[in-house]
Amino acid sequence: MNETFICGDYEALVSYLYDECAPNERRAISGHVAICSDCAEELVALGATREQLAMWTPPDAQLGFRIVSDAPRSNVLRPLRWWRQPMPAWAQAAAAAVIFTTGVTLGVMRGADRGPARPALLQTNATNSSVTKSDLVALEQRLRSEMSQPHLAPTSVAATPADARIFQQVRTMIDESEQRQRRELALRTTEMVRDFDAQRNDDLMRIERTLGQMDGTTGVEVAQQRQMLNYLMRVSQRGQ
Amino acid sequence: MTFTDDELVARSVGGDAESFNQLILRWERPIYALAYRVIGREEDARDVCQETFLRAFRALPGFKGQAKFSSWLYRIALNLCRDWIRRQRRAPVMQMPEGVEAGELIAEAGPIESIEDLVSRRQLSEVVAEAMKLLPEEQRTAIILKEYHGMTFQEIADMQGCPLSTVKTRLYQGLTVLRRHLEKNGQLTPQLVNRS
Repeated sequence: MNETFICGDYEALVSYLYDECAPNERRAISGHVAICSDCAEELVALGATREQLAMWTPPDAQLGFRIVSDAPRSNVLRPLRWWRQPMPAWAQAAAAAVIFTTGVTLGVMRGADRGPARPALLQTNATNSSVTKSDLVALEQRLRSEMSQPHLAPTSVAATPADARIFQQVRTMIDESEQRQRRELALRTTEMVRDFDAQRNDDLMRIERTLGQMDGTTGVEVAQQRQMLNYLMRVSQRGQ
Repeated sequence: MTFTDDELVARSVGGDAESFNQLILRWERPIYALAYRVIGREEDARDVCQETFLRAFRALPGFKGQAKFSSWLYRIALNLCRDWIRRQRRAPVMQMPEGVEAGELIAEAGPIESIEDLVSRRQLSEVVAEAMKLLPEEQRTAIILKEYHGMTFQEIADMQGCPLSTVKTRLYQGLTVLRRHLEKNGQLTPQLVNRS
């Protein structure tokens, strides 16, 4: 490294300040600072600024992030599973096409099978037409008796404590699932907004660059036209 | 048993999520501090910190150990901070400053530090934070990486993708602006500096 120090070489001064210079360079700067009051003051001022910087502490924050495999918790970092990641447009289109084709194929196959099915339908209609009045009375009685049964045996359907516990567990699971989905939705939305912003920023920069180029081109053309006009003016004046 | 970062990374790549959690535990405070000092807002710094580890976890299989794990993390965090700053520039939102409240001061005042000391420390901290906001992003980041994370000039140059001399210039210019701002706010008197 340099064995001499030139006054005003601030890069060397910064190296000296942070004690990140070669020993010979350090010796050279020390020797200079001993005789140059400007550089000595500069060093002291920078050192004092560094001392003030040491006072700047970030506030305490509750961190404790963790990667977990399955259990949903707060402060959880969890990458999206592959089946939950957004499907590309081509894959969505392909899936739609497959479903549509399958549906059409099934429809066509069923259409071909309809011939033999018709007699069965007719047969059913024929059976319906043979219902007698006594059948209807019997049906009415059966319905009435079934409708009156819940009043007679209300205790038989009462939920046991075990059922209540299961209901509670199911409810808890549903709540947790909803919370998880909400969190994932928020994460996905944030990512989407961020990607969108980044893309927009890129587009804006590209547009600005293109506009700048166009501006430059237009300026050159205007200058050329002005030169041409000046030339024509000069030539026409000379002719007069 | 304490594992090195490289060992924990290898285990994490092998599917051991607990090893990655140890890495998080080891590095979340420095990453949060870096994000807070670059961004200046607690909540957003916390989000950046979380996102940093999430991205690192996702990209872990692609991490081949060309750089130190911590440098890789710092780089991810700085990129996220840069994205955040860009977004703020595009859509500036009026935000309440994260200042000091009386209740907070009383709650934080311990038996060792008096409220007056705490207030003056907080005020100084705020002045420094304000001064840091005046700096261009590159100078601010260089100072933060040097002063609070003890990186070498070369490490900062690698992180910022610039020559070594540029890092030194950024540090010098940044410190000079800070010094002037602190002098203007009475935190650093030129006479005192000259006398000492």
